[in-house]
Amino acid sequence: MTRAHTAVLSAGLLAMAACAPPAPENPANTGPPPMPIPETVSSRPSAGPGEKLFLEHCASCHGPVGMGTGLLARRTDEPQLEKREDLSADYVATAVRLGIGNMPPVTRGELPDEDLQQIADYLVAVEETVP
Amino acid sequence: MSPVRRRQRVDPARLGRAKVAFEQLLGRDRVFFADQDIRSYADKFAVDDNLHQPGGAIAAETVEEIQAIVRIASELRVALWPISRGKNLGYGGSAPVLEGSVILDLSRMKAIEYDEENGTVLVEPGVSFYDLYDFLRQRGLKHWISVPGNSWGSVLGNALDRGMGYTPYGEHATKICGLEVVMADSSLVRTGMGAVEGSPTWQLYRYGFGPSWDQMFVQSNFGIVTRMGLWLMPEPESLMGMDLEFDRPEDLGPLIDALAPLRREGLLQQSPTIGNWLRAAAVLTTRDQWTDQKGHLPDPVIDAIRKRFNVGWWGVSLRLYGRESVNREAYKILETEMNKLKPMIMRPTTWRRGEPIESSGWTGTPLTFPMQNANWHGGRGGHVGFSPVLPQSGNAAMAQFRRTYERYREFGMDYQASFAFGERHLINVNVVLLDKDDPEMMARVDPFFRTLVADAAEHGYGEYRTHLDYMDLVASTYSFNDHALWKLNQKVKDALDPAGIIAPGKSGIWPAQT
Repeated sequence: MTRAHTAVLSAGLLAMAACAPPAPENPANTGPPPMPIPETVSSRPSAGPGEKLFLEHCASCHGPVGMGTGLLARRTDEPQLEKREDLSADYVATAVRLGIGNMPPVTRGELPDEDLQQIADYLVAVEETVP
Repeated sequence: MSPVRRRQRVDPARLGRAKVAFEQLLGRDRVFFADQDIRSYADKFAVDDNLHQPGGAIAAETVEEIQAIVRIASELRVALWPISRGKNLGYGGSAPVLEGSVILDLSRMKAIEYDEENGTVLVEPGVSFYDLYDFLRQRGLKHWISVPGNSWGSVLGNALDRGMGYTPYGEHATKICGLEVVMADSSLVRTGMGAVEGSPTWQLYRYGFGPSWDQMFVQSNFGIVTRMGLWLMPEPESLMGMDLEFDRPEDLGPLIDALAPLRREGLLQQSPTIGNWLRAAAVLTTRDQWTDQKGHLPDPVIDAIRKRFNVGWWGVSLRLYGRESVNREAYKILETEMNKLKPMIMRPTTWRRGEPIESSGWTGTPLTFPMQNANWHGGRGGHVGFSPVLPQSGNAAMAQFRRTYERYREFGMDYQASFAFGERHLINVNVVLLDKDDPEMMARVDPFFRTLVADAAEHGYGEYRTHLDYMDLVASTYSFNDHALWKLNQKVKDALDPAGIIAPGKSGIWPAQT
């Protein structure tokens, strides 16, 4: 997709304000706070193999301002997968392969089973270490 | 003769033989024909989930494998549907036009070659915008990329589908410089200067000698692109601009008439996109927070949503890129012109090299949150886009807006739209936000979409890009001289790929013998 039609320009910064208090009665010429830099593989040079795979394949949506995090914030108390304590490896693998909610399935062509397993194992273990 | 043709599913027996041959070539762990695999390559945003089912999928990792795959497909007469990363959501995702086609998944091919001095890259299909951003970030972001609203996707695939971004390099197809392509006869071609053995200018000069073929492989099915050269924007010294909100629907026309000359003159080198209130709101909230009423949203609900998020009926962001001294002078002009329009809100923004950067599409920072609009209806969602090309005229845009808005209301749909500037044109992107849990609404989508296409065609407007379901339909609207362009496309297809091995039906292009 593409700027395609989902491109959001003036809405872009507003996405970060989705959970912010209502706008003031008198609209000041100020915007919401700037969005953080996305988390990518190079963000964490000391990442282990499962964490690197998570950053490469998942963080675009499940990082701080990704689509997945934004939508999970509507449904769960903890939208960031790396901080979840209730994930099992089987649940992660099933959600990835079948898709869940608005998340499309991730195919075996893109993400081999062995890499998916490493990501799932990482997410099960990580909540103890990620602040 | 009409380009709308009958589609014939790929023969299951031949598909079975192809699966065996692919397994011999690639190994069983790169051949995916299980039911779950087929579902995973289907179109997540489909209007009709029964259409466009793939027959299976295979993952290639090298050019030589792709050549061998094409030979097998050609011998067994099995159609391939190449995907770079398959994230073309809203246009079909990873699904093929022709049911039973084998998805040729190139997402594992992720090599990047970077010419830092000249600001170019040579990328394979699997390189996502996040991958390229990360690659450049590790090297100090001396060059910026241009990203689309769903940066999960492929740099190569997006450019080949004429995707767009937000920077001065935002018309991605125009920044392509040199391709490597596997043809249907399995031969390997390099375009432009790449045809010269050992050429150091493949990514520097677009045309080569004689005809220039790069654009022939854009939105087409004439070959499988395995590498693409792309120009990158040098990191600017400064960035200045403003985010603007306008209060009334009728503000659209004057805004377009004010921006168009600035864009044509080159004072604005970026291509701005004017979006309506729902483009912002559909990312931020869900419909059920505001009403349980079916059909189009009434004005009081729209007013309440706008007030909550402090957005105009229309909004636009403008950015100037380059030397700070130049930007300062240009900004004054921009500010004067915009103030004449009495915007509801004007938020200035400025950045200098070395300062913390604005992480947004305007700085080529990849993003996915715009896709949150798929959740507007709260459940299983999605969208398809109707995107006619218009002249840069306020009157034309207002007429198109009013016409389309009325159709949205007539069919009970929520109107999400934008008007995206090119150098000389506008693309009016209208998003149809789907509620896949509402069968009655889903049944209205197809007649609604066809009505929009017919309305536009009546005024001489054609779409720039469309979903799998409507490729034949949109191709049929390019009808000058008894569909002469469609006939030309078919002649080229017949010359290069008479059996229709590569992506039959893409952009309405089928071989004659289909």
